[in-house]
Amino acid sequence: MFVLITGGSGSGKSEYAENRAVMLSKKESLLLYYIATMKPFGEEGKRRVERHRRLRSGKGFFTIEHYVNLKQLILPGEGVVLLECLSNLTANEMFEPEGAGEHTPEEIMDGIRQIRSSSRHLIVVTNDIFSDGITYDKTTEQYQRYLGRVNRELAREADEVMEVVCGIPLQLKK
Amino acid sequence: MILITGGAFQGKKAYAMETFSLDESMIADGESCSWEDIYKARGIFHFHSYIRRALEEGRELKTLAKDLIQRNPEAVIVVNELGSGVVPIDAFDRNYRETTGRICCELAKKAREVHRVVCGIGMVIKHD
Repeated sequence: MFVLITGGSGSGKSEYAENRAVMLSKKESLLLYYIATMKPFGEEGKRRVERHRRLRSGKGFFTIEHYVNLKQLILPGEGVVLLECLSNLTANEMFEPEGAGEHTPEEIMDGIRQIRSSSRHLIVVTNDIFSDGITYDKTTEQYQRYLGRVNRELAREADEVMEVVCGIPLQLKK
Repeated sequence: MILITGGAFQGKKAYAMETFSLDESMIADGESCSWEDIYKARGIFHFHSYIRRALEEGRELKTLAKDLIQRNPEAVIVVNELGSGVVPIDAFDRNYRETTGRICCELAKKAREVHRVVCGIGMVIKHD
């Protein structure tokens, strides 16, 4: 099963995604992997990562930090994979020296397809960064375009697409 | 408690007034009301502005959701959904956006109903 989960900042999408992943792993007694894509920058970044770690602690996740090039990631075994979050991954691929640059969308899609094929269930958390109506500079606009494209392609391939609003999951595709 | 969310300028206020038979005398406006007003009013509008003002003044917001649920359990709260944009460069804006979102998640968990308004049309996304 492949589930794509979207929502804005502070929407409760992470908590929902974690619960889904935990339920799937319990039901079928599967290993639980968390692929963290966020590089903690500065104090605020560290706090964010800490908050997420706290939320996950005790739920049985095996955390793997991977910032670019998902294709190179080899999972220790088949199980339930929670990948969070595509907005960070897209930024990393675009702006990190070892990232894919202009091939960002293809690189992300290839990486996710590979994880999909080596896991029993995959849950991907993305981010709605498209509805503030602000016109950004060319680079930021490119970032939005890349993430938008990845979101659309993933939604097409996903078995289920959910949007989380105030912690409430809304089904966009089943 | 009723929580009504949605983007800016989607007709949330009119929807709230009509759906829950409110009039102006029952409303606390988050843009200008006192810190205590939200615990007395039947309707709380621009709740995100209340949060923003509180953050600007450095007020403690950790228990805001809990206090509101306890002290004004029948309130109809109208709040903007504001997390769906590019992460703001300004740290205050980032914090405002996220704090508002987290408080709304807490309220939604306890709310009897949650409505989301798009183009003036309300959808009930939670109903106990």
